[in-house]
Amino acid sequence: MSLVNFTNFDFDQLFAMSDDTNPLMMLIWILPIFFFVFYGQRIQLYVTSGEIKKGIKKLDGFRSESRDELINYVNKNLKPVDDPTAKINRFIDYFTIMPVEMDPNGIVDKVQHIVRSREDYTREHVRSLSPQMSDIELSKVQTLLEIASSLQMIYKIINHMYLTAKKQNNYPLILPLQMILPFIMEQSEAMKEAIPVFKKGQPVGDGIGPMVVGKMMLENQKETIAFQTSLVKSEFEGRKLFLVKADGPGSTVGRPADGLEKIVSENKIDAIIMIDAALKMEGEDSATVARGFGAAIGGIGTEKFQIEAIATSKNIPVFSIVVKQSVKEAITLMTKEIADTADDVRGQVNEMIRENTTQGQSIVIIGVGNTGGVP
Amino acid sequence: MFKKKKITLEYTIEKCSKCGTEVKRKYSDGDVLFSRCSKCTSCDGMMMIEKIFGETLEQ
Ligand SMILES: [Zn+2]
Repeated sequence: MSLVNFTNFDFDQLFAMSDDTNPLMMLIWILPIFFFVFYGQRIQLYVTSGEIKKGIKKLDGFRSESRDELINYVNKNLKPVDDPTAKINRFIDYFTIMPVEMDPNGIVDKVQHIVRSREDYTREHVRSLSPQMSDIELSKVQTLLEIASSLQMIYKIINHMYLTAKKQNNYPLILPLQMILPFIMEQSEAMKEAIPVFKKGQPVGDGIGPMVVGKMMLENQKETIAFQTSLVKSEFEGRKLFLVKADGPGSTVGRPADGLEKIVSENKIDAIIMIDAALKMEGEDSATVARGFGAAIGGIGTEKFQIEAIATSKNIPVFSIVVKQSVKEAITLMTKEIADTADDVRGQVNEMIRENTTQGQSIVIIGVGNTGGVP
Repeated sequence: MFKKKKITLEYTIEKCSKCGTEVKRKYSDGDVLFSRCSKCTSCDGMMMIEKIFGETLEQ
């Protein structure tokens, strides 16, 4: 005889609320309902917080690892004048306060001013760690510092949200944390993995734009057009080309908009072509090449604004070619698939030039992205 | 739990600018894109570093 007969439940008896129901059974049914009504959130809080705690522990590891790597790198390669630990610890905690947005008129200039002052400040202070540091080393340390302070910031914010929710036994507060945590972890892991790549000075996925333009620049004299930004004048099928990219092989994105502004002020430009890496959507293949209109450039938006403003005021069409990739691919060692698109992108640039301009016209081609490892 | 360990192998591709011969080798420290590195084995051209990239393997 089997213990339970699965096929022959008497549903009437199971769910019946008639007088002949066993009062003990009723209690067993009703008690958990009350229990969950009053304690459900708390139970969920405990279950979820275990997961979040694991994530936070990992984030804590990332931030201390990235800081230690940075300190080790400075100590090993740059022969600092004195122990850089205290100074680096202080840099990592530097914060940026974005300007008031209540009166948006001129907000871009304000944001740009704050971001650039921050960059200038860190550059000068990184230089003070070791006065004879080369510009390439300097840009490396600056990028490593950027990574370490981002990881520190992420850890602090996530930990703050978690501790607050926990302290107040506030389940709704922990929900958004649970939702964003996977994205945060993905980004943080990518940042952690980016450290050795920037240390070695290898090209990252985001460097595909500079890589394509950098190759077009070969065999021509480079000149400096803006801060950390180079220009090469060349020719293609009767058109004049102005090739712009950040100064490699240091790790920087340069100031392409400033460069463009200068070129446009001295020359009549008929088209702008921008080559950049773009975030792929989930499910989209990595390293697919796509074309479109408008300024392809990431970052906080000030460069994009500036380029759009220049293009609009001079009525210059802006075309873009992007190579799709994930967050991780963009900041870690360039994958084979992305590197392999370089020739295809170059071909598409040529096609775009032929399709959209005629002989005798001038085109600015900007390779947007981090030029680390790409001269 | 059953997450496979991933390792990234770093490669450098050298290409002859004259005959187009490509050589794939392990990345070595100091490799820089577009730098001239060695003589081509099949003609008298120079090899140039064309690509530096990583390939990820699951173990
Ligand atoms: Zn050859």
